[in-house]
Amino acid sequence: MNVKASVSNLENYKKYLIIKNEIVSFLVKKNYQELDLPVLSPKLIPESCLEVFQTEFRNMSYKQKLFLTPSPELFIKRLIADGIGDCFYLGKAFRNAEHFSSKHSFEFTICEFYKLNTDYMSFSKEVLDLFLALAKKVNGKNYIYFKGKKISFESFEKITVAQAFYKYASIKDTELFNHKAFLKVAGLKGYKTEGFSYEDLWSQIYAQEVEPNLGISGRPTLIYEYPSVFAPLAKPKNKKVSKRFEVYISGIEIGNCYDELNDYKLQRNRFAIEERLLNQSGTIWADTDYGFLEAVRKGLPNCSGIAIGVERLGMIFSDTHNINDFKLINFE
Amino acid sequence: MMQQAGNLKKGEFIIYQGDIWQVQKTEFYSPGKGSALMRTKIKNVSSSKAIDYTFKSNESVEIIEVLSVEMQYLYKDSESAFFMNQQTYNQYEIPLDMIGDIIKFFKEGETMYVYVSDDKPLSVRPPVSVTLKVTHTENAAKGDTVTNAKKEAELETGAKVMVPLFIKTGEVVTINPETGEYTGRSNA
Repeated sequence: MNVKASVSNLENYKKYLIIKNEIVSFLVKKNYQELDLPVLSPKLIPESCLEVFQTEFRNMSYKQKLFLTPSPELFIKRLIADGIGDCFYLGKAFRNAEHFSSKHSFEFTICEFYKLNTDYMSFSKEVLDLFLALAKKVNGKNYIYFKGKKISFESFEKITVAQAFYKYASIKDTELFNHKAFLKVAGLKGYKTEGFSYEDLWSQIYAQEVEPNLGISGRPTLIYEYPSVFAPLAKPKNKKVSKRFEVYISGIEIGNCYDELNDYKLQRNRFAIEERLLNQSGTIWADTDYGFLEAVRKGLPNCSGIAIGVERLGMIFSDTHNINDFKLINFE
Repeated sequence: MMQQAGNLKKGEFIIYQGDIWQVQKTEFYSPGKGSALMRTKIKNVSSSKAIDYTFKSNESVEIIEVLSVEMQYLYKDSESAFFMNQQTYNQYEIPLDMIGDIIKFFKEGETMYVYVSDDKPLSVRPPVSVTLKVTHTENAAKGDTVTNAKKEAELETGAKVMVPLFIKTGEVVTINPETGEYTGRSNA
């Protein structure tokens, strides 16, 4: 890889800055406390779907492993447990093993905001209000155009994960949550199943058959109630699913929201499951942040939080089709 | 040869559901739920039909080894382009849909590399650069000093591209056939 300065992206970068600044001013106006947080941490929340970057602090004979944070969640939830109230972070996050692509980079800008005493569906209205504020900022209207298509932000299309799998992949509820039945259906559809897990096939079918249909009917789609195995930090709704939603615009995942899990015992069990999956996978992983569990035990108030990919949101609201087109410095 | 889908590269030929496909586009994707994936656009060599398909990143995919054979581009009709192996004088037909948009930059008589497997032509390896004469472009208006300003130019193959204002009719330019972008003025 080499470093390349791309001043020719300055016009796009300015469009991105307008959007980034509008996100901050929207949240500040809504009384969310802005947080400046570290990007290096000695401990992390175990999440088996992510791989992290590792480095080391050295001073004489003292050595401390440090990890670039894939999300500011471990810091923010501690502060919420200690009483900071509604808050947000807009800054860098790092995820290893994610190649460069039009929508991905291993270093990206994340905006996480958390609201207390709400639930994820009520909280979704705040997310829609943010989109409306952005649309008004860049277009002066309640809608924008992306790739020649009008997208309006007056409401969400809402669909559960189970409904979406049925509608777009003809997989029934009874098959979706039964791992054996799901693998069988996947095999009948022509997917390779031998040697692969439920999680592997679920992701593949979601990406291949479900995701391209989300957020393409002229408004954003809110897809909710994910199987709990894909939402280790979210409150369960019932035995099968957890209170997690994702927002899509034009087939692109923009944000991921939970009703934050504040049941200590359940969180501890889920940590153990994630640690086991990480040990099996052989990916780089950090020392587990048991202090986070302590914060949950001390008392995390009921709250909902969303993580938004800021460059992706910038793409949509500036009708730019590649996140790299915003960057003044690219790696080649 | 088997390879993990996460390592697939544009231009490779793979076996998928019993057919040969060429990889047109790849995008690694880690969705934050479940496992990492490899999104691809692949084109069926027999039907020239392109589809989007998402592989598991750790799924094994069979890659076919192909030869790049030097051939002369002869001509095209409404459906296919015809090439001749300059060693054996055998002629090969490749559907235009398989070659894609780059065909508009091919000049009859030019030498190209054709991907061949079991003596069957699969597609054309896109040249890094093509050198073509500008057959028509308007003279730039005097005083037009906007930096990076471009104008349309028609090339000898009939293709239209955007070129800098200083290019004149009759000059020879180099084009990246995959992007259709002007890359320079040729001294040839």
